[in-house]
Amino acid sequence: MSATDTQTPAAAPQDAAPVHKSWWRALMRDRAAMLALILLTIIVIAAIIAPLIAPHDPNLNSRSVMQPPVWTERGTWEFILGTDGQGRDILSRILYGTRLTLLIGLVAVGIGGVIGSGLGLLASMYPKIDPWVMRLNDMMLSFPAILLGLALVAVAGPGVWPVIVALGIASIPDCARIARSIGIGVMGQEYIEAGRAVGLSDWTIFRRYLLRNSISSIMIFLSLRFGQVILIGAALSFLGLGARPPASELGMMAAQGRDFLLFAPHIATIPSVVIFLIVLCANVAGDALRDVLDPRLKS
Amino acid sequence: MKKTLLLGCALAVLTGTAFAQEINIVREVDSNNYDPHKSTARAAAESLFMLGDTLVSLEPDMKTVTDGLAKSWEVSDDKMTYTFHLKDGIKFCDGRDMTADDVVYSLKRWIDPETKSPVAWRAGTVKDITAPDAKTVVYQLEEPFSELLYQLTQSFATVIDKNDVEKLGADFGVTGLNTTGPFCWGEWLPRDRMTMTRHEGYNWGPQFYTNKGAPHMAKVTWQIVPEENTRTVALMTDQSQVTQYIPQIAFAQMRNTPTVEVHRSDEAFWTWFIGFKVDKPTVSDPAVRRAMNMAVDQDALARDILFGEVTPAHSYISENALDWDPALNDKLIKYDPEAAIKLLDEAGWKPGADGIREKDGVKLRPNLYIQGGSTWQKLAEFVQAELLKVGIGLDIQVFDATVFWGKVATQEFDSFGMSYPYISAGDALNLYFLSKNIPTPNRMNWNDPETDEWLAEGRRATDDASRAAAYAKVLDKVHEAAVWLPLYHEPMTIVQSVKLEPIVPHNNYGAGLYKGLDLKYRE
Repeated sequence: MSATDTQTPAAAPQDAAPVHKSWWRALMRDRAAMLALILLTIIVIAAIIAPLIAPHDPNLNSRSVMQPPVWTERGTWEFILGTDGQGRDILSRILYGTRLTLLIGLVAVGIGGVIGSGLGLLASMYPKIDPWVMRLNDMMLSFPAILLGLALVAVAGPGVWPVIVALGIASIPDCARIARSIGIGVMGQEYIEAGRAVGLSDWTIFRRYLLRNSISSIMIFLSLRFGQVILIGAALSFLGLGARPPASELGMMAAQGRDFLLFAPHIATIPSVVIFLIVLCANVAGDALRDVLDPRLKS
Repeated sequence: MKKTLLLGCALAVLTGTAFAQEINIVREVDSNNYDPHKSTARAAAESLFMLGDTLVSLEPDMKTVTDGLAKSWEVSDDKMTYTFHLKDGIKFCDGRDMTADDVVYSLKRWIDPETKSPVAWRAGTVKDITAPDAKTVVYQLEEPFSELLYQLTQSFATVIDKNDVEKLGADFGVTGLNTTGPFCWGEWLPRDRMTMTRHEGYNWGPQFYTNKGAPHMAKVTWQIVPEENTRTVALMTDQSQVTQYIPQIAFAQMRNTPTVEVHRSDEAFWTWFIGFKVDKPTVSDPAVRRAMNMAVDQDALARDILFGEVTPAHSYISENALDWDPALNDKLIKYDPEAAIKLLDEAGWKPGADGIREKDGVKLRPNLYIQGGSTWQKLAEFVQAELLKVGIGLDIQVFDATVFWGKVATQEFDSFGMSYPYISAGDALNLYFLSKNIPTPNRMNWNDPETDEWLAEGRRATDDASRAAAYAKVLDKVHEAAVWLPLYHEPMTIVQSVKLEPIVPHNNYGAGLYKGLDLKYRE
């Protein structure tokens, strides 16, 4: 049996171009999703080029503390979003802070996605290890991400990396469950049986059929998970477990503004709004992607 | 109908009267216990001053030692024997008469090694404490201790009941405390609230109080409210009637709020500082410590971060404190970032690729251990930003209060953030700069025989001038060595409801309400 024959069951890639066009058109029709994607793109680009566009050094203080944003009576164009309790430019800190927040989300989801999906797909492929992997999952699910974060920080001390590791670990069980359920569906397909019949190795079946046919659904789940991870990461930083000063991180900025809530609410509100926007955009975009890519929802 | 109305009116009057004798005080943190000899927390002192009494008291000027349980006392010519004469009619909350034996028991328990009191040294080098009769206490020292009377005003010298200690065992100061103070122990729910009730018949309070009898308040509740905005709102909405724990940012608004009054006392000795462990590679260089002092603008800190509600500190103790040497005023290190840069350059600390200075492979990035909480977070970030401008990185490490005290008793940090109350130069210097107090509270590892000798000289001094001269030498030496980076002196500010008579802020161990005898609703 030739390799061409074995690829026949996984025919989806051959239709990739028209499918791609159709889901993109479907996405274009969803105005909320488009708006979310555009906003998310702007936020991501602004975060990437933060050193080029930030008007001030985010870590240096000025003698203008708690300067309100430009649209208020006492606001100035020098500090468009105002300054924080230390006299640091909030806009610059938001740009750098978004960078760190997105990085935390991406790396944590990456860790959780790779390990969780790998475990889930393996469990779906090898029924013998399935119960073990799932019980391990159940055990991990009993630890909330914030508790795990607290425990890791207690051991390693506060910092971005303990938070990323905690969030990554906390993402594993969910990813594993989703990947397993998708994988079980794929493993029941005839082309898998055909592959086995022609003597393909497990690694080839995993790589060429199981992974390829599961990846899009897993990615959709990860895009939805991204918003949650950002939110939990910000919460951990809010509790003082994440980024350490002088680094800026959106959750930490919101925490720093908490003491001034009655007198200078912009210090806590602005980073909170940015967190809200990122999470909202990620969730709306993720939902839309699921709608257009999930064949069961196409009808 | 008439009867119902009359009953209603009577109930309203009674309720009003009851309310007018109850007060709710909010504070930031609780104490771990209320055993006078075992807790050094300010929260413990706040409650113990109200619950208990000491032989002598301190007036709000923080200088005058006055009557307490003792109506008078004599000091021998060699300053080694103090004889206290007790007031008449003093009773514990359980109704038992207090005698000189109770005072002796309390003071001896304080210094007993078995008690393991972290503040036993404050009692001086005791030869013996005896009670020749029921109304006389004789306190004999091995060597003169010029601070003794001040130390005896502290909550650590509170007179307790031996029976109570034996009955409660490990729960002493946790589930109860039988004392002689203006208020009696009610209930303590850790990290929530403590209630205390009026000690009926109390009439042996210090004479500087207007109220010579029992407290006006029938019940006092100390409520723990960790979040500062919540405390502010509690005051503004009359859920609390008084507190000293209002953030500086709120003072301006409080002064304009018609329902509250703000009272400030500058006779308050509570200083915030960063201490350097002088044998660590980064801060062992005196030039670095001096440069760090020059790089931080304490005036801007006081003005911008603390809204002008504190006094910038360049000295380690308030310049109003007993035995401060005014000759040092001109020698104090002031803000001069350019001089700091020059000093670091000359000392061989050159900026690296990341802008942080380094020398002989050592990066000038000392760590700073601080306690969690909004104040230290703000201070540390300000100092960090200031130091960054001269090429010094500061690695801030924040610890929860439950971990912090253990962490700052180790040798693992370069610098630490701390604030402390004191009553005089001797009090402050003997606490922090004695070599025998290494590793804590001498967390700087300041080990200098000359300092030890001068401190001993100050403690043994039998007259004010020689004591001040000895402590002046220590003050000069440690300021010259830049062992600390002083940040600010905090005045005592009390925010109270206008329903209360104006409160005169006290500051003994930072307890603004002290014995609370004059707490009273306006009539």
